[in-house]
Amino acid sequence: MENEGRRKFLGVCVAGATAAAAVAAGYPVFRYLAPRTGQGGAAKLVIPAGELKEGDAKFFEFAGSSAVLIKTKTGELVALSAVCTHLGCIVQWVKEKQQFLCPCHGGQFSTDGSVLGGPPPRPLAKIPLTVTEGNITIG
Amino acid sequence: MLKRLYRWLDLRIGVGEIVEKELTGYLLPRNINEWYSLGSVLLVIFALQVITGMLLMIYYVPDADKAFKSVTFIMNEVPFGWLIRLCHAVGSNMMVAVLILHMLSTLLMGSYKAPRELNWVTGFTLLALVQGISLTGYLAPWSQLSFWATTVATNSASAIPVAGPYLVEFLRGGKLVGPPTLGRFFALHAAVLPVVIAAFIGAHLFLLKRTGISAPPFGREGTATPFEAQQYHYQGHPGGIPFFPNYVLQDLSSISIYFAVFLAVVFFWPGMPFTPDAFVPADPFKTPAHIKPEWYFLANYQTLKIFPSELLGLSVQAAAMTFLALLPFIDRSPERHPLKRPVFLTLVIAGILLWIALSVWGHLS
Repeated sequence: MENEGRRKFLGVCVAGATAAAAVAAGYPVFRYLAPRTGQGGAAKLVIPAGELKEGDAKFFEFAGSSAVLIKTKTGELVALSAVCTHLGCIVQWVKEKQQFLCPCHGGQFSTDGSVLGGPPPRPLAKIPLTVTEGNITIG
Repeated sequence: MLKRLYRWLDLRIGVGEIVEKELTGYLLPRNINEWYSLGSVLLVIFALQVITGMLLMIYYVPDADKAFKSVTFIMNEVPFGWLIRLCHAVGSNMMVAVLILHMLSTLLMGSYKAPRELNWVTGFTLLALVQGISLTGYLAPWSQLSFWATTVATNSASAIPVAGPYLVEFLRGGKLVGPPTLGRFFALHAAVLPVVIAAFIGAHLFLLKRTGISAPPFGREGTATPFEAQQYHYQGHPGGIPFFPNYVLQDLSSISIYFAVFLAVVFFWPGMPFTPDAFVPADPFKTPAHIKPEWYFLANYQTLKIFPSELLGLSVQAAAMTFLALLPFIDRSPERHPLKRPVFLTLVIAGILLWIALSVWGHLS
């Protein structure tokens, strides 16, 4: 009976030590493989206003994802996420129609990001921007 | 729970039979000693090298322009990247060291003798392959050390008459060590050699299982059935100790001791695998002073320097290696106790001393 207890105690010790060793080895590997934080690109981006003509769109990387800045024919500036809300493809700017088209499944968005047609369930996410002294600050 | 899973598996695929045959029923000599567990230690080291190597490949870039930077990035930026890289670099040194100990124990206990000649030959091939994988991996960081060590190592092939200079160019993929060398060495290091080594380990273990394990020539009375050369015969050990749990425990304690030493080096002597030249990017126009190979190539390096002609130096090394590789076919007496083989023992000790002396000389010169 006493032997049984000792066996059980040793078993628990071995299991505990093994688990501790597994964690000690697993944690560095997990951290090594985990995506690096703070590497998603700048949280703020400055684009000179002169870079963009009316009716044009400019694609850029923002906070680790794709984004787009457009200047509508009326001169209004809009920054949007360029990731289609349907399955995550990057939308294209169709200059002639002044709207976005997702090449994957034909989703269509207007210049303010709202859905005009196709399967996307939500409008494109808006990104705040400010204009100061000819510079457009995004984010 | 485990018992139920065991029963479930046993009913379907007869796990019990495998356990009986390979684990509890696999009997080892009663007088088996600690040295026999070095094979298991080597298996663990190899597995660890494969795992850390795969992890390094995530961030390493095998391009001459980016290799050094990517290694620096692993060491300084990636969380625990230094740990993975050091484990890989220290592990390679330890693999050679443990391999040498494993072979020495085989030598001294005469386990290479009939019917185990093929175990020795496959084991010896593994030594050569491990040296090859160490050499090709050495170039990967594209540091001054890598670059010039590879220049010297590949250059020694030029001593071979007629084909030599062409062979060097073929090895390097160009007249000098350069980006093409990195490409082919990386492919050898990360794709070709690991597979070949794994295959040879498989063959080595297969041979071990077919011939049965050798009993040490000393200690308690042996249990081996005698070997007869007339027909195939598995050398069993009736009345011996079961592999599981008895010898597995020995394997585990040896592996634990190994890890203690290995991690002590990784944490307390992280500079062990590196010289200052390892921290300078490769510069093909600037040879650093006193470039030296890894410790396990120092004896070869010194031999090349001693002999007046490189060809002679290479031939002496080739002769020594061939002699060692064919040892089981040269040394044919059945006696295995080292003390009852005075000539052999003297030669082994003299050989070890010579190797150490050459290495020290090479290191100091």
